[in-house]
Amino acid sequence: MLFLSRIADLIEWLAQRHRLLPWLIAYALLLPLPLILSTFFNDYLIDLANRACLFIMLAVGLNIVKGFCGQVTVGHIGLYAIGAVTSAVLSLEPGGFGGALGFGLSVWVSIPIAVIVTAFAGLIVGLPSVRLEGAYLALATLGLGESVRIFIAVTPALGSSTGLMMIPAPSIGGFVFDSFTSYYYLVMTAAVVGIYFSFAILRSATGRAFQAIREDTIAASVNGINVVKYKLLAFVLSAVYAGLAGALFAHMPPGYLHHNNFTVIEMVTLLLMVVLGGIGNVWGGVIGAIVVTIAYDQTKDLVVYFMDRPIVIQPLVFGLSMVLLVLFMPRGIGGWFEGVRRNRRFIQRSEEKLGDAARNS
Amino acid sequence: MRLLNKVFAGVMAAGIGLAATAAFAGDIRVGITMRMVSENGQAYGQMVMDEIKAINDAGGINGNMIEATLMNDECKSDKGVANANKLIFQEKIHLLIGSTCSSVSLPIVDVTAKAGVPQMIPHSTNAKITQKGSEWVFRIPVSGRYYGGVNAKYVGENIGTKIAYICAADAASVGDCANMEKQMRARFGVDPAYRADVQEKEVDFRSHMQKIKSMNVDGILVAALAETMARALIQSYEAGIGEDVRRIGSSSASNAPVPKIAGDAAKGVFFTAAYAAADSRPIAKLFNEMTRQRYGIHAPDHDFSQAYDLVRIMEIALNNADLGLTDGSLAADRTAIRDAIASVEGYEGLASGPISFCAAPTPQCRDGNRTAVLIGYTKGGENFETEVLARVTMEPDFGLE
Repeated sequence: MLFLSRIADLIEWLAQRHRLLPWLIAYALLLPLPLILSTFFNDYLIDLANRACLFIMLAVGLNIVKGFCGQVTVGHIGLYAIGAVTSAVLSLEPGGFGGALGFGLSVWVSIPIAVIVTAFAGLIVGLPSVRLEGAYLALATLGLGESVRIFIAVTPALGSSTGLMMIPAPSIGGFVFDSFTSYYYLVMTAAVVGIYFSFAILRSATGRAFQAIREDTIAASVNGINVVKYKLLAFVLSAVYAGLAGALFAHMPPGYLHHNNFTVIEMVTLLLMVVLGGIGNVWGGVIGAIVVTIAYDQTKDLVVYFMDRPIVIQPLVFGLSMVLLVLFMPRGIGGWFEGVRRNRRFIQRSEEKLGDAARNS
Repeated sequence: MRLLNKVFAGVMAAGIGLAATAAFAGDIRVGITMRMVSENGQAYGQMVMDEIKAINDAGGINGNMIEATLMNDECKSDKGVANANKLIFQEKIHLLIGSTCSSVSLPIVDVTAKAGVPQMIPHSTNAKITQKGSEWVFRIPVSGRYYGGVNAKYVGENIGTKIAYICAADAASVGDCANMEKQMRARFGVDPAYRADVQEKEVDFRSHMQKIKSMNVDGILVAALAETMARALIQSYEAGIGEDVRRIGSSSASNAPVPKIAGDAAKGVFFTAAYAAADSRPIAKLFNEMTRQRYGIHAPDHDFSQAYDLVRIMEIALNNADLGLTDGSLAADRTAIRDAIASVEGYEGLASGPISFCAAPTPQCRDGNRTAVLIGYTKGGENFETEVLARVTMEPDFGLE
C-alpha cells in the first residue's frame, strides 16, 4: 500500500513538471511488456493483456456515464457490439466468404466511422435518461442493449448466427497487425489515450458539470447546468470508448464476431469491473478491468464435484463477489485506495503542523 | 531497493501462477475446449477425459502418456478463441479437440491454422468450417451440407414438399435450415411454404403454429437447439396441428432433452444424426451400456458417440505418428500428428458410416463422415425410444456446388 501511495505521489510530482510527463513514462514502461511476457512466461499472456486493454477502454468509458454523471446504464455492451459490427461490416470484402454485408473499406477508415456511428447510438441510448432515472433507466438501457444483440442475431447481413468471419486485421503498408504483440501496441495505445482523456474530461468544466448532475440533478439545474445536454454528452462520450473498443475487438485476430459475445453476462462482467475498481474513479476502472480479466481467466474452469456431478463455480464466485463488494467495499478498490491516501496525507500534514508548533514553542 | 525486490517478487509470483503449465517432456499434450454449460456437455467432456485416462492406464501411446486439459468455452466464440490461445501458447499442446459449437469452431480454425496445430472437431456441423481450407482441421461429425441433402431427399420422397420452416438463430440450426431449403429447391423446385426465423432461446411459437396450421402443410421443420425445439414441438400440438403433419427435427433433435422435455410431442419426430442409440451393432450396444453405467445416460446421442469416435481416431493417429516429444520437436510433432490423422481411412466405430480423411485441405478430405442416419422417435419422455429409418451416404462433393 505504501508503495502504491508513493507511486501516486511520484505521478503527482511528475504531472506538476508537465501534465503529459507521467503518461509518456507510463507508455514507455508498457512498451516492453510483450517482450517480457514472451521471454519469461508465454505468448498467451500477451493475448490476455490485449483483452484487458479492451476491457479497460470499456470500463473507463462506462465510468464516464455511470461514475462521473451518475446515470445507471446497462446497455453499454450494446454500444460495444455496434462499434464492433459496424467496423467489421465496413471493412469486409463485398461477397466475402461469410456471406455477410461488406464494403471493403480500409480498417483505418472503418474504425473512425464505427466510433462515430456508436457515438450517435450512444445519443439514442441516452435519450431515456432525460425522463428516466435509477432502475427505470437501467431497464430502458438494458432493453436497448439487448435489442442490438437480437438485431444482429436475426440479420444475416450482420453475420446472424454464423457470425462475421475473416474480418481483416489493420495494416500499414506491408505490415499487418495480426500477431498478439503487434496488436498489443494498438490496443495498449488506445487504452492509455483513453485513460488520459477520461482524466481530462473529469478535470474539465464538463467533468464538473457531470459530477454536479450526479450529486443532485435539481441543484445542478438551478446552478445553470444544462442537465439534458450534459447527460446526453456523457452517454455520447461513453459510447465513443465503447465504439473504439468494439472496433478494435472486431479486428483483433482471428477476426471473428458473434452476437453471443455481447450478452447480458458480458454486461454484468463489465459492471463488476467498474464496481470492483470503484465507481467514479478512473484508476478504479482500470484496476477493475485488469483484476476481473485475470480472475476470470484463472477461475473459469474451476469445477467442484457435488454428488459426483461437476459444478462450474465461477458464476457463483463472480456473483458472490459482486454482492460482497457492494456490501463491504461500496467505493471499490480505487475508492478504498483514495481513502487510505487521504488519511496518510492528513497524518503527514498533522505531523508537520505539530513539528512546526514544537519548533515555534 | 527492498521495496523493488518485494514488487519484483510479487510480479514474478503472479506471473508464475498465470503461466503455470503441466508440460512435461515425453507427454503428448492434448487440449480440449467444449461447451460444458449443460449436464450433457459436462458428461461428454468427462467421457473424453475418462477415455484418455483409459488409454494412459493401458500404457499410453507407445509408452507416452497423454496429458489432457479440458476447458469450457460456454459455446461463446471469444471464450473458445481464448481457450485455444491458452492451450496452444501456454500449455504448448500437440493437438486441439474442439469445439462442440460451430460458432466457436469457426474462429478456432483460423487460430490453429496460423499456429500450425492439428484440430479435431467433435461436434460442429456448419459446412463453412472445412471450407476455410485449413490443412490442420479434421471434422468427425457429419457436415451440415450432407444432413440437408438427406433430410430433403427423405422428406420430398416420403412426406411431401409443402414444408414449413422454423429456424432458430444458433449457427447449427441456421445452417440446417439453409441446407434443407437449398436441397428442397434443387431436388424438387420448391421454396418453404412458411418460414419463421426465431430467437435461439425462443419460448413462444404459438403465432407461428397458428399460421402453419391454416396452411395445411405436409411437414414442419423445427431447426433449433434441444430445449427450444422441445418447446416448439409441444406448442405445435397445443395449436392443434395434427399427427398427420410430420415434424422434422434438425440434428439437435438427437439430444436427450428433446424427447425428455417434449414427452409425447416427440413421438413421430424424425431427424438426421451421426449415431442412433437404436443401432443394433454390438459396438453400439456396448457403448449404450457404458454410458448408462458411467454417466447415467438413458440413450447416448451423437454428441457422445462422436466424442468417443474422436478419441479412438486420435489414439490411432497418435500411435502411427512418429513423435519426438521434446520441447524442440513441438512443431514437427504437430505436423506428424496432422499427417497421421490425414491418413486415417475407413475407421469403423460408432458413427453412422466409415470415417476417412486425406491430405488435401478441402471439405471433401476433411469432412470425415459422409453417412447420415435417419432416426425417428417412437416414444417420448424419460424412457424415450428411437428407430432407425434409413442410412444414406452422400458423395464427397455433395452440397459444395
